[in-house]
Amino acid sequence: MVAILAMLTASAAPDARSQDTSASSEYLIKAGFIYNFANLVQWPAATFPQPDSPIVIAILGQDHFGTTLDRVLQGKKVNGRPFLIKRLKSVPELLKSVAELKEYQILFISSSEMPRLAEAIQIVKGIPVLTIGETPGFAKNGGMINLILEDNRVRFEVNVEAAKEADLNISSRLLALARIVPQAPADGRKAE
Amino acid sequence: MNLLNLSIKRKLILMTMLTSSIALLLSWASFLIYDLISFRSLLTQDLSTQAEIIGYNSAAAMAFRDQTAATATLSALTAKGDIVGAVLYGPNGKMFAHYFRGEETLPELQPTCSQKKSYRFQGQYLEVCHDVTLNGDRVGTLFLMSDMRQWSMRAQRYAKICFVFALMSAFLAFLVSSKLQKLISGPIMHLEDTMKMVSANKNYEVRAVKSYSDEIGSLMDGFNAMLSDIQQRDTALRGANEELQTRTQELEEEITQRRQAQEELLKAKHVAEEASRAKSTFLANMSHELRTPLNAIIGYSEMLEEEARGSENSGNIQDLQKIQAAGKHLLSLINDVLDLSKIEAGKMTLHLETFDVTGMIEEIVATLQPAVEKNRNTLHVRLADQVGMMRADITKVRQILFNLLSNACKFTDHGSISVDVDRRLEDGRDWIRFEVVDTGIGIGAKQKENLFKEFAQADTSISRKYGGTGLGLAISYRFVQLMKGRIAVQSEPGQGATFRVDLPAQVRIETPDSAPAEGTSEVPSPAGAVKTDRDTILVIDDDAAVRDLMSRFLTKLDFNVFAAGSGEEGLRLARQVHPGIITLDVVMPDRDGWSVLNQLKAEPELSEIPVIMVTIVDNQGLGLELGASHYLVKPVDRERLAALVEKHRNMHSSAPQTVRIPVSMSPDGKHVGPIGAEIVRRR
Repeated sequence: MVAILAMLTASAAPDARSQDTSASSEYLIKAGFIYNFANLVQWPAATFPQPDSPIVIAILGQDHFGTTLDRVLQGKKVNGRPFLIKRLKSVPELLKSVAELKEYQILFISSSEMPRLAEAIQIVKGIPVLTIGETPGFAKNGGMINLILEDNRVRFEVNVEAAKEADLNISSRLLALARIVPQAPADGRKAE
Repeated sequence: MNLLNLSIKRKLILMTMLTSSIALLLSWASFLIYDLISFRSLLTQDLSTQAEIIGYNSAAAMAFRDQTAATATLSALTAKGDIVGAVLYGPNGKMFAHYFRGEETLPELQPTCSQKKSYRFQGQYLEVCHDVTLNGDRVGTLFLMSDMRQWSMRAQRYAKICFVFALMSAFLAFLVSSKLQKLISGPIMHLEDTMKMVSANKNYEVRAVKSYSDEIGSLMDGFNAMLSDIQQRDTALRGANEELQTRTQELEEEITQRRQAQEELLKAKHVAEEASRAKSTFLANMSHELRTPLNAIIGYSEMLEEEARGSENSGNIQDLQKIQAAGKHLLSLINDVLDLSKIEAGKMTLHLETFDVTGMIEEIVATLQPAVEKNRNTLHVRLADQVGMMRADITKVRQILFNLLSNACKFTDHGSISVDVDRRLEDGRDWIRFEVVDTGIGIGAKQKENLFKEFAQADTSISRKYGGTGLGLAISYRFVQLMKGRIAVQSEPGQGATFRVDLPAQVRIETPDSAPAEGTSEVPSPAGAVKTDRDTILVIDDDAAVRDLMSRFLTKLDFNVFAAGSGEEGLRLARQVHPGIITLDVVMPDRDGWSVLNQLKAEPELSEIPVIMVTIVDNQGLGLELGASHYLVKPVDRERLAALVEKHRNMHSSAPQTVRIPVSMSPDGKHVGPIGAEIVRRR
């Protein structure tokens, strides 16, 4: 774990724009962030059927991680729970698996699915699933955590209200590092 | 050393203060050490907690690699003044975020945290290392460093408080111990004062006042008891001293009295001795003065008797004999008194000479014949063969025997008297014994006691009946003693008496100048040296009666007599006639006999003439010393004088005789006739 993070940090420092390396290093960092989020977010007890039920991460849309996320989370556990990664190609697929939605704990919405973001959010609304995005305005529009690039650094925004609505408890320590983003008015959301 | 010499008071204060200070310091020290240690562990704990909190707070930031957030978290430590610095290291050990108080930098802190969670003290700093974890995952390490400012401040504050409290407690201890030490030092100092008072004033009536019944109290009791003991002894001693002084004074007074008494006694003794000497001198002088007229009385009565025998006037003879007898008796009395006074004055001296005892006895017997015949007694003389010669004062020996024999004659009537002379050895010494035995009236036991004492005749009636002074035996006794002899008597009343005299055959004078004064220092005169007439005699005497009597007597002996009335005349005549013999008196006006004798011996022509001293002065020693041939004391024993002059004439009979004058005239012109009578001198 330490070695991985060290690697991430080392690779994250240089130019993030360079296509190959910067992309991979960006997602390596993002993968670490996802792991950290899992650590600092508390799900309702009923979410997991069993104590050792895995934390399921669903990646919606185009998967930029490649195998990075799998590598990073390999063997990792949070509170005794391993990780399980699922990949969904599009929102409609999300809709299909709505029955399984309750089993998802984290939903990573790729920038490719931004046009259908509202729909996606609507789908998971009321279900304790942590939504993580990587598109500007994601948190404002109902997403819970949005990863952004700032001065070649990965930062994140948090929509506390959305998390509360989903009955998720985000640690104050996480909030202290995040940029808190208020919920945009409903009409605005509709307009999008 | 100086501390040990401090006074008890100071010592007590010092002890109390030291003890209390040590106790106080120990308790303080233990408290402080405990407090500081616990405070330090508290600080450590505190720092650890701080590290935990900061670690927790920065864990997310570390996890999300948010350097700004981590730095912000660390800057919260500004509120903690004692934290010097804080560093967050990433999991790879690289510094991720840091905080330093003020401008401080801690280069030496870099490689510190080796253990996961630990703290350590580095110098005055406390360092804590703490792993930062997020849900069990280590995301980094936190390093905190504190300068323990609180602890050192606390320690400083404690030191100040301690110092102030130590001062205050020392002061209080001083106050309290100053008060309390009096309990112990007070009585001791009082005791000391009392002791000083006693030793300074020698006043043993002082007593120490006991304050408490502790050890010092009993010490005081002992001291007081000792004092009263000493006081008693002192009083006793003083009493004894006073008594001693009184006694000493008494003794001194007694000694003074005795000394005075002694002085008085000495004075009295001197006075008595003086008186005695005066008496003796007076007696001696008187005796001389009495003898001079007696010379004339006896001499002339003898002469008259002789003349009367020649004529037909024989009726006067008996009267003249009575005068003679009375004169002789008086003379013997005077002689006795003179002898005794001489003895008492200590002037009696011995003149030793060697003589034939037999001759002396025969001489005495011949002299005594009339006395023996008077009471019709018979006298027997028994002489041992070996008696021979003896050396003694012949006149005194003669007088002793004469006294004893005349006494025997006096107290014996129709009896027998015997004289036994014997020579014997006794105690290794040569003795001559004279024993006079009579068959007379004898002596009673009571009379025997006083027999040899002066003026103690057996009975006053005896004096009347038999005559005599009673001095004879006393004088004999003294003479015997003088010659270191013995005299003893054996007698019963009516049984006669035996007197025994033992004399040393060689009498010695026990005086330093025991120059042997030979009685007859015969000076052999070389015949023919000077032409002298052996039959010529020169009589030198200032007394005309003596000159007359001597001239008559010597003329009868066929001598040619010249007489001189003074020393000068005598010398002139001697040079003129060169006499064969000179008789010389001592006491003469102008020039005395000693001077004349000296002159005679000084002139060569006269020095050979034998000089016979005929004088009242009894100083035989001086006379013989000056060169006199013989020494006769007046009144002159005619027989001795005759014997002496005859001896000198015979000695020179071979010498040519120049002049022989049968009768000569005395200087005063009187005819000097032959003297028939003889003067008997008892000594």
